[in-house]
Amino acid sequence: MDLYTGVRWLNGMKQLCLNSWPRWLSHPVLHVVVAVFAVLSVTAIGQEEPSAGQNSAQQRKTYQNMTPDQRAAATRAFLGLGPEPNKAAAARGAPLFQQNCAFCHGQNAHGVTAPSLITSDEVLSDDHGERLTPFLKAGRPDKGMPAFATMSDEQLNDIAEFLHLQVEDVANRGTYHVLNIVVGNPVQGETYVKARCMKCHTAETFAHIGSSFGSPDQLQRGWIWPASSENSKLAISATVKQPGGATLTGRVKVINDFRITVVDSAGQTHVINRGPGIEVEINDPLADHQEMIQTLTNNDMHNVTAYLATLK
Amino acid sequence: MKWASAVCTAIATAALASAGPSIPHVSLDPNAIGKPPITSWTTFNGNYSGQRYSTLTQIAPANVGRFAQQWVFRIAGVGPQRGAPVPVIKCTPLLINGVLYITIPDHVWALDARTGKQLWHYGWSDHGGHLVGQRGVAIWKSTVYFLTPDNWLIALNANTGQELWRKNYADARKQYFSTSAPLVIKNHVIVGVGGDAMDMPGFLDSFDTVTGNLQWTWWSTPRKDDPALKTWPNESASDHGGGMTWMPGTYDTELNLLYWPTGNTNPVFAGQGRPGANLWTESIVALDLDTGKLKWYFQVSPHDTHDFDNTTAPILFDQVVDGKPRKLLAQAARNGFFVTLDRITGKYLVVKPYVPLDYSSGLSPQGEPIPIPDKDPTVGGSINIVNASNWPAPAYSPKTGMVYVNSVEGKAIYYLTDDSKEPSGYGGTGTGIGHIERVLQAIDPLTGNAVWKHRYPNLNNAPTTVGPSILTTATNLLITGDDQKNLIIYSADKGQILWHHEMTANESGGIITYMLDGKQYILFGAGDSLYAWSLPQ
Repeated sequence: MDLYTGVRWLNGMKQLCLNSWPRWLSHPVLHVVVAVFAVLSVTAIGQEEPSAGQNSAQQRKTYQNMTPDQRAAATRAFLGLGPEPNKAAAARGAPLFQQNCAFCHGQNAHGVTAPSLITSDEVLSDDHGERLTPFLKAGRPDKGMPAFATMSDEQLNDIAEFLHLQVEDVANRGTYHVLNIVVGNPVQGETYVKARCMKCHTAETFAHIGSSFGSPDQLQRGWIWPASSENSKLAISATVKQPGGATLTGRVKVINDFRITVVDSAGQTHVINRGPGIEVEINDPLADHQEMIQTLTNNDMHNVTAYLATLK
Repeated sequence: MKWASAVCTAIATAALASAGPSIPHVSLDPNAIGKPPITSWTTFNGNYSGQRYSTLTQIAPANVGRFAQQWVFRIAGVGPQRGAPVPVIKCTPLLINGVLYITIPDHVWALDARTGKQLWHYGWSDHGGHLVGQRGVAIWKSTVYFLTPDNWLIALNANTGQELWRKNYADARKQYFSTSAPLVIKNHVIVGVGGDAMDMPGFLDSFDTVTGNLQWTWWSTPRKDDPALKTWPNESASDHGGGMTWMPGTYDTELNLLYWPTGNTNPVFAGQGRPGANLWTESIVALDLDTGKLKWYFQVSPHDTHDFDNTTAPILFDQVVDGKPRKLLAQAARNGFFVTLDRITGKYLVVKPYVPLDYSSGLSPQGEPIPIPDKDPTVGGSINIVNASNWPAPAYSPKTGMVYVNSVEGKAIYYLTDDSKEPSGYGGTGTGIGHIERVLQAIDPLTGNAVWKHRYPNLNNAPTTVGPSILTTATNLLITGDDQKNLIIYSADKGQILWHHEMTANESGGIITYMLDGKQYILFGAGDSLYAWSLPQ
C-alpha cells in the first residue's frame, strides 16, 4: 500500500504521474514500522510536534524494542529523508575521506577551513554518487579544492557514500544515541538516596538496580519515574463515592471529566458516569516521585544515577 | 534529474456531483478576506486577528443540549501516509459561497457545505518532505492556494480543482517541508516553511496572487552586514540557524503589518556552537506586508536549546490600558511564558510564566526571558519543561477579554547527543518524565494571570500530536476537546462544562462556525472525518 491508493476512490479518475514513486518512500514494510514510529517520533522530539516524550509506556517500549536499523529506517521514512546510504561503501570511503578531504572539511565533514559538507548543495542533490563522483573528479580549483582525477570512480563513489552517511548521522534523529550519561558523583548520590529515599524504600529496593535496566539512561529514567505499566503496585487507584453512600475502590483504567472506569479487587470492571453526587478520590502511588521531579536538580539526578549504577 | 523538477503532474479530479441540484460558484471578493467570519470562513484563523471568535448567536448555552450532528465527511481510501497510519485532519476548513475546502498532506477536497458531499479532489504526489500535517488552504477570488510537503505553492481553480500554476520555493532535500496554510492579504500570498533537521535558515515568502511571482523574501536569521549578526558567533552559524515560519501569522490592516511567529533555533538542542541570542529565531516579528521589511521583533526564547519552537499564534486584540485604547498582541508561547506586546512598537506589557517552570532567572530590560545555562541539555541529562503549547489554535474573546489556550504542564529529561564544538542537526533528544497534564486556561492578557483553569483528568500523558484547537462565540461558548475523544463546550467566562459528546477520535484540526441557510453550523475535523453540527430544525 502506498499513497497511490488515494486514486481508488476517485471513481476511475486517472492520476497522471509521469515519474515513478521513489522506492525508498513506498517500501511496504516501512509503512508498518513508520506507523509505529509516527506515534513516537512526534514525541521523542519533533519540529512541529511536541518536544520531549509525551508518549505512553507501551509506545516507548515498542520504540525501544526496534533494532537500531529499524529505528533509523522508520525515522528516515517519517522525515522524508533521501535514499539510505550504502554503509559498506561508506566504510570503504571513510579512510579515503580522512586521507584526502578531512584536513579541510573535518573528520566528520562538518567543516574546518573549508565549509561543512553536511548542508552542501552538491552532496544533498546526489543520491548515490551520480553527481558527486564527476564533481570530485573535476574538483573546484577556482576555490582551492583540488581535482581528484587520479582516484577511480569506485573510490570517489565510496567517498560520496561516506558523505551521505555523515548527513544521515545529523539529519536522521533515529540514529542518535545518548552518550555516557553516568557523569555524577556516586558518593554524593548515596548520601541523597539515604537522606531522601529511605522514608519509603529499603536497601532491598536498590539492591541490584544497577543491572536491572538495559542502559544507564533507562536506569536514570527508571529510578525517577518507575513504569506503572510494569508494576501493578504503582497503578493509580480511586475510591468512587456514589449517591447514597456506596463506595467502590479499584485500579483506574480510564478517567476523564465524564466517566471513570475502575477494576475492583475481584477483577470486575465498573464504568461510572461522573455527575452530581459522584465523588472521586485518586490515589497515586507515584505522587511523591511526581513531586520530586518538580524540584530535582541535575546534579542530584546525575549523582543518584552514578550511585545506583554501582549497585549491580 | 533534479529532485525538485521530478515532480509528476497531479491532476484534479473533478468528480462533479451528478445528482446535485447546483454547484455553487465560488468567487471571493478580495475585500471580504479577513473580515469577521459570518457566512464564510476565509482564512486559517477566520479573519486576520487570530482571535477565532464568532459573533454568531444562534447556538447558545440555553440550547446546546439540542446540538446535533448533521453530516460527516470521512476520508476513505488514502491509506497510510508516511508518519500517519490513518489520515488525520489537522486543517482549519475554509468556507466560501457554500463550498468547504479541507486538506491533509498531498490532498485537497472541495465539499458541498449543505451535504458534505465531495465536489472535487486534488491529489499531489510528493517527492520528499514530511507529511506530519497540513493546516489548510488559502483563497482569493476563484483561486485556492495549497502547500505541498515538498514545498510547492499550487494554485487551483476553486470551482474545478484544476491546477492553474505551481511554484517551488524550497528544496525538500535540505529538509525543508511545508505543512502551513498560506495567508492571502491584498495581492500577496504569504508562504511559510518548516524543516529543522539540517540547520537551514527559515524564511517567509510573498507571492503574487495572480502570477505566482515572488514579491519578497524575509530571512529569519540576519545576513551580511546586518547588526543582528552580533547575536550569532559568525555568519555561517546564522546562515544555518533555523527559525522556520511554519504556522500562519496574523495581520493588522491599519498598520499594514504582518505578525509572524518564528520557530526553533538550529542546531536544536545543542547550543554550544551558537553562543548569543540567535535573532530572529524564537521570536514574534512585525513585517511590512508590501516589502517584507522588519519593523520590530520581540524574542520570546533567546538562545533556545529546548525546541521551544515559538509558533503558537500571536493573537491581535484591542483593550484599554490605563485609560488609553491600545493595540495589543498576545501569545501563549511554547516556552511556557505568556507574552502581551504593544503591536505598534513591539514593547512588552506582560511576560509571565503560565505553566510551572524554573529555567529562567528573570527578564532582560526588553522583557525577554533569560534562560539559566544549567538547564541546557547535557550529556548526563537536564530536566526542563515540555512544550507548554503547540500549533493547535488558541483563541480570544472580546466579550470576556481573555485569551484561551490548551496548555501542557510537565517535565522532560533533555540529553545532549552531540557534545562537539560545532554540533549539527538536533544534537540532542528528550524524554518525558512524570505525569504530563493538559490544562485549559483562560488568561487575562493584561496581567498574564489565569482567570480560570480546567485540568483534564487523564491517566495518560497529554498527547499533543493532535488538537484540540479552540473557538469562542458571542454567546459565551468556548468549544474545544479533551484527549479522550470528547468534544466539549464550556462557558467562556467561568470554564463550566455546558455540554460534551464523545466522538470516534480526538478533535484534530481547527473548529469553525458560520451561518448557512439561516442555520449556525460548527464544523471540525476529528481523525479522518469532518463533522458538521448544528441545532435541529
